[in-house]
Amino acid sequence: MTSPAAIVGLLAMLAATVTVGIFARRFARTTSDFLVAARAVRPAANAAAISGEYLSAASFLGIAGLVMKYGFDVLWYPVDYAAGYLVLLIFIAGPLRRFGAYTIPDFAEGRFASPRLRRLAVGLVIVIGLFYTLPQMKAAGITVASAVGIPYGAGVLLMAAVVITIVMAGGMRGVTIVQAMQFTVKLFAITTPSFVLLIHFGAPAGIFAHLHSDAVPRLSQPLTVKVNPGDEWQVVETLHVHLDHPTRVRLLSSGPGPAPVDVGTPETQPPGGRREVLLTPSATLPPGRVRWEQPTRVEIPAGSAAPYGAGTPPSSNAAWLRPFGPLAGASGQPLLFTYSLIVAILCGTLGLPHILVRFYTNPDARQARRTALFVLVLVGFFYLWPPLYGALGRLHMARLYTTGLTDAVVLLLPRQIGPSWVGDTLAGITSAGAFAAFAATLSGLLISLAGALGHDIYGRWLRPEAGGAERNLAFRIGALTAGLAAALLGLMVERFDINVLVGWAFAIAASSFFPMLVLGIWWRGLTTAGAALGTATGGVAATLAIATTMVATASPTLAGFLDRNPALAVIMAQPTIVTLPLAVAVMVGVSLAWPRPPTGAAATMLQMHLPERLGLRRDYIHE
Amino acid sequence: MEESSGNRESRPQPPPLTADLRELEEQTQVGEIFLSALLRRQLSLSLRVAVTLLVMLGLQPLVAWLVPAYASTDVLSIPLPWLVLGVGSYPVLIALGAYYVRHAERVDDEFSDLMRR
Repeated sequence: MTSPAAIVGLLAMLAATVTVGIFARRFARTTSDFLVAARAVRPAANAAAISGEYLSAASFLGIAGLVMKYGFDVLWYPVDYAAGYLVLLIFIAGPLRRFGAYTIPDFAEGRFASPRLRRLAVGLVIVIGLFYTLPQMKAAGITVASAVGIPYGAGVLLMAAVVITIVMAGGMRGVTIVQAMQFTVKLFAITTPSFVLLIHFGAPAGIFAHLHSDAVPRLSQPLTVKVNPGDEWQVVETLHVHLDHPTRVRLLSSGPGPAPVDVGTPETQPPGGRREVLLTPSATLPPGRVRWEQPTRVEIPAGSAAPYGAGTPPSSNAAWLRPFGPLAGASGQPLLFTYSLIVAILCGTLGLPHILVRFYTNPDARQARRTALFVLVLVGFFYLWPPLYGALGRLHMARLYTTGLTDAVVLLLPRQIGPSWVGDTLAGITSAGAFAAFAATLSGLLISLAGALGHDIYGRWLRPEAGGAERNLAFRIGALTAGLAAALLGLMVERFDINVLVGWAFAIAASSFFPMLVLGIWWRGLTTAGAALGTATGGVAATLAIATTMVATASPTLAGFLDRNPALAVIMAQPTIVTLPLAVAVMVGVSLAWPRPPTGAAATMLQMHLPERLGLRRDYIHE
Repeated sequence: MEESSGNRESRPQPPPLTADLRELEEQTQVGEIFLSALLRRQLSLSLRVAVTLLVMLGLQPLVAWLVPAYASTDVLSIPLPWLVLGVGSYPVLIALGAYYVRHAERVDDEFSDLMRR
């Protein structure tokens, strides 16, 4: 399904990114240019760049896809992404800017006078950064795949190459300008098609009235899909299909409702109600789970209730529209699930390594706070729109439930609009926006990862005597290494929801860096041992819990155990509500039990909290 | 991108140290008391905003859980929780942020004025 307009959109965005990146390269000379743009970036450009970096593919594509899939509960994601910025503003924006370090590891070492704590922080930056690059890679893959019609993996590799090149060429100074431009593109690309979609499909009231009036999502056009042996469908209403040829299927379970009439010839009847049947080319499938045993092409007439592919839990429109629907409700512990999600995203935002580094580009704390407020305005306005695509997708693109491509609804929905040149143009615009989304976030992440690899691991441990040129080379090699690692990991995550992957990065950040930063800034009693043990405990506990959830997707035993213990399953999938208090308890407990404040803690507190006007300020790093 | 100019805080001239500033700089006990007072005022402001945020967000799932009428109310066919959470949250977040920035700057300025007297 090649779309020329989408290709034009992608190429235009790529050309703009490269041009601005090359233009900016002429200004990037020293390490400090690369890392914090010499702290001279203006607040407005900085706020746009932060928003550009923060509005990742998870925001541009993922929220709409997840709303389409799960409904109301997903609104917690965009609201908490924005609210996380408020938490960042009120707790750390000002003091952290005054402290004047480049990265979270710089803060860890400067505040706690401990190179070992710095190493721990570097390790966590790499873990969180890689977790956060995975969903961006997935977005890159599906965007290019849907525009050009090349396979997912090729899309991932192509886009990774583009972003790695940009970062290696320009560093952050280039990227600041590129990201400010990309924010503008993203905002335009989400709002403009929204207006046209509203004109075409009617006001939100009408959209929701349609959703109320029907029990389940229906196909608005006839759908033809190829199925392969092993594909599973959940049929929600008796479904008439046309097949290329007689095809064997296995009926795994039958829902309530009328007994199937034209199911075909039962061939075997194994115990447990699993029936293998041979479908005639014009067949009727009963409600329930169906597994295809032979490849074939299936035609489903318009107006049928869309069958759901694997990975998309079927839900009635009534459940989808209300709180505790198929996302929170299906967890078995809706309230616990919702609260843990809220805490993870609220607290995780300020623990994201690529977000914090931006605050050092403000000249002082006052500008840092104003920048953060400006960011809140920009992202708040942006987040009004993606849920609209989700609701429209449920109404007009139910086929994505069958194909499992809900994450691509922002890219595909505009093509529903006629005349076709309008739809194609809008699809080109949203594709350009998606490119801006993953390119901006990926380059920000690559800079943080390259900083950790080049600045910390190489520049501090391996060759502390390295000069400026050598450090810049190390930074570039770090960018290349991190980018390649992310691309290879990205090849493996096609099956996961973008926002679920993002949620994991937030959970780890919220359980480790959040308490270290907030307590480290506001409580002078936090000791090095307390910070180190608490950060490690929270980070490791959250990572293990998430790893358990990932393993459970491959291990029926573990999955069965978690199914029987829904509260435990929720905590494993979304661990912050337990691991954050745990990390705080360890930090406070250890600090109170062995009260040995790190050397220079008093001076550090002065530096973080005294207004610059008093003139006592020093930056942590002098260049 | 040139240096942002005309900002009186970005490039401060080294001011003559007053007695109070010297207490801070040399981290005397008096200086500690000054700093603690500043920290307390800033932190209590931050916590006030944080608690407001938590109450605003945290009450919504609870109300939806305990008051089914809230969850099932529609306004022009749109379920009320969609409007409250998905539209109404953002202006409140921005208002909270603006409140914080104004008051945090005021606390900083008052402290600076006190120290520079």
